[in-house]
Amino acid sequence: MQPLPPIYSFPPLYTRQPNSIIRNQQLNAWIDLILQYARENKCWTMAKTGTSTADPKFNIFHNESIQRSVSPMFIDEIWALMIKQSKAIVNNDNNNNYFILWQNIDSWASLILQWFEDSNKLNQVVTIYELSQGDETINWEFHQMPEPLLILALKPLCKRNRATMLKDEDGAPIAIKVI
Amino acid sequence: MALSIHKGMYESSLMDRSQPFRYCVATHKLPEIILVIMGQKNSKLRVTETDRAVLQLKRSKDEIHKFTRRTDSLISQERGTLKQLIRENPSAYKKDVKVRFLLKRIHYQETLLQQASDQLINLENMASTLEFKLIEKQFINGLKNGNDILTKLNREFEKENVSELMDNVQDQIAYQEEIDGILSQSIAGVNDYEDEIDKELDQMEAEVLAKELPSTDHVAPIQVPQTKPEQVSKPEGEPEPEREREREPVALLS
Repeated sequence: MQPLPPIYSFPPLYTRQPNSIIRNQQLNAWIDLILQYARENKCWTMAKTGTSTADPKFNIFHNESIQRSVSPMFIDEIWALMIKQSKAIVNNDNNNNYFILWQNIDSWASLILQWFEDSNKLNQVVTIYELSQGDETINWEFHQMPEPLLILALKPLCKRNRATMLKDEDGAPIAIKVI
Repeated sequence: MALSIHKGMYESSLMDRSQPFRYCVATHKLPEIILVIMGQKNSKLRVTETDRAVLQLKRSKDEIHKFTRRTDSLISQERGTLKQLIRENPSAYKKDVKVRFLLKRIHYQETLLQQASDQLINLENMASTLEFKLIEKQFINGLKNGNDILTKLNREFEKENVSELMDNVQDQIAYQEEIDGILSQSIAGVNDYEDEIDKELDQMEAEVLAKELPSTDHVAPIQVPQTKPEQVSKPEGEPEPEREREREPVALLS
């Protein structure tokens, strides 16, 4: 794991600051930390408690080396702000999980579109599983993106009439065709 | 008269031109295509039967892919436990039923994995063949469309129409030449005009000379027949300058 910036070992970061200006900075520092951790470790989801799904032993809100942790109330505040800024999305399949968006949905959509164009997959049916797990996306940042998040990231393409979703018998999207 | 006939012909040639218009009507789908290009209409996004078939294929491919991954991790896991069992009981592990069973299971899983990867390759080949066939289909469609348009265009060039058109064109050219003729006549060619001016001037000169000549003629017939011309000419004096004038125009004319 890449080391987090020095501020992660700064004890006052773990206590909710009473001054609102300082608290805003504190909240933004936390959001930056979470996004940086998620990007570097490809941690697509994080539990509400801060436990990384990429590494169950790691909890971002608990720093053992300085013996500090964030209070549950303040954790909720951080998550609320992240959701407001569209940097986290509640996972509908598992309500205790958040998807971490170190890139916003539209950037993911254009990155995926670029993959479709670069690998000549236009006008072909590609399954969501293939996009996320297939060998052809290994060198792309969206490789191994959880399928529900991937579906969210593909929606802008459908809205722009660049793509259409193919659904299975239960109506759940399983594949996409981009033109 | 000639003009009105040509006008009629011009109108008939206009009527012939209505055929290309009919062609435009046949391609009235064009705006729709433009709409699709502009992303306003998603008719191109329709999911076809082939798409469904490819999807089915890819889904089974994905399933096999998932299966191979699962089996792979299972095998490595069982190998781990097997090694541990051997380590725990190095002397009699060969007689251990559990160890034998585990190894058989691993072998079985491996054959399954082999089968699965073979199937995966088959499916992948199938998918790429399908994709290529789709491209081939597009190619055939392209050829067909091109051929259709070509025949349609050739129909516009029906022999009768073309010969009629050519006749019309010839008529138009003749008409144009006629007009050119009329126009050049009225303007009068520059060279002709100069010649005419010259001619008219000559005529006028001749007339002027003709008027003056009679005076000498009047005088001469009276006195020239006389036996002494020198005597006659001297006392009169006037005829002499007239003779000189008579000579001058001659020189000019020559």
